[in-house]
Amino acid sequence: KLNIDVDTAQHGVEGLTYLLIESSKLMISENDFQDSIHALGFSDELNKSLLQLYLDNRKEIRGILGELSPRLPSYHSLEWRLDVQLASRSLRQQIKPAVTMKLYLNQNEGQTAQVLQTDPATLLHLIQQLEQALGQMKTNHCRRIVRHMK
Amino acid sequence: VLDDPDLKDIDPTVLKHCHAAAATCILEAGKHQADISAISTCLEDCKLDKERIEQFCTEYQKNKDALEILLGSIGRSPVHITDVSWRLEYQIKNNQLHKTYQPSYLVTLNVEKSDSGSHPDVSFSCTMEQLQDLVGKLKDAAKSLERATQM
Repeated sequence: KLNIDVDTAQHGVEGLTYLLIESSKLMISENDFQDSIHALGFSDELNKSLLQLYLDNRKEIRGILGELSPRLPSYHSLEWRLDVQLASRSLRQQIKPAVTMKLYLNQNEGQTAQVLQTDPATLLHLIQQLEQALGQMKTNHCRRIVRHMK
Repeated sequence: VLDDPDLKDIDPTVLKHCHAAAATCILEAGKHQADISAISTCLEDCKLDKERIEQFCTEYQKNKDALEILLGSIGRSPVHITDVSWRLEYQIKNNQLHKTYQPSYLVTLNVEKSDSGSHPDVSFSCTMEQLQDLVGKLKDAAKSLERATQM
């Protein structure tokens, strides 16, 4: 339908893909993009179309590229349940509270579920430690670094 | 028991029988959390003299709590969390994507090492929102626990 041979079409697509991926990866500004493609010697109209194509799809391409980076298993969700152990084979008449949890993690294109348990004291300890962790981003130290990195 | 110098004159088989009998008695008493009178009655039925019964009960009483803890810890349960460690990092770039500028947490749930093969610690990464979700859910569990203890 385009009246060109397969090879040219393929090269065209590959070139376009490369251009968009590299631009998105580096998150280059509009001006930098325009300067870069200017060297290719296309018409102004084509350059404008290419710039618009870049700006429209940049976010989505970056989202997809983000998925390709090295990853550890990542948090998906957590379910919990309160249990009280009343008796066991070795000991009768117990009152042993426990929190049983199912931790869902995303790992290598799949999802794993792991059953874990903890006691009330450790649960409170976990909450305290993780709340401290969350608070870190608000400290002056972290704020300063974030400001300087941009 | 077999190496004890005070007992070297006694037939080892008899020693083993005594040890097994004493151990069984103690464990059964512990399992059912029997009180002193029940134990005394039981030992009386076994024709032990009063002095021996008193000695046995005193020793039992001394170690009762430790025994209960030990018995309570025997048994199967899901992997038990003992501690948590975390790391906060600020991502700048990777080879696929530059200028990422995102905080990221790495959380490790330390797990109790059991004798039947230790499970590895559970590690995972999460964003700030995900960590907030996790902490929120843990706080819900803690609140429920508090309500349950007030019933």
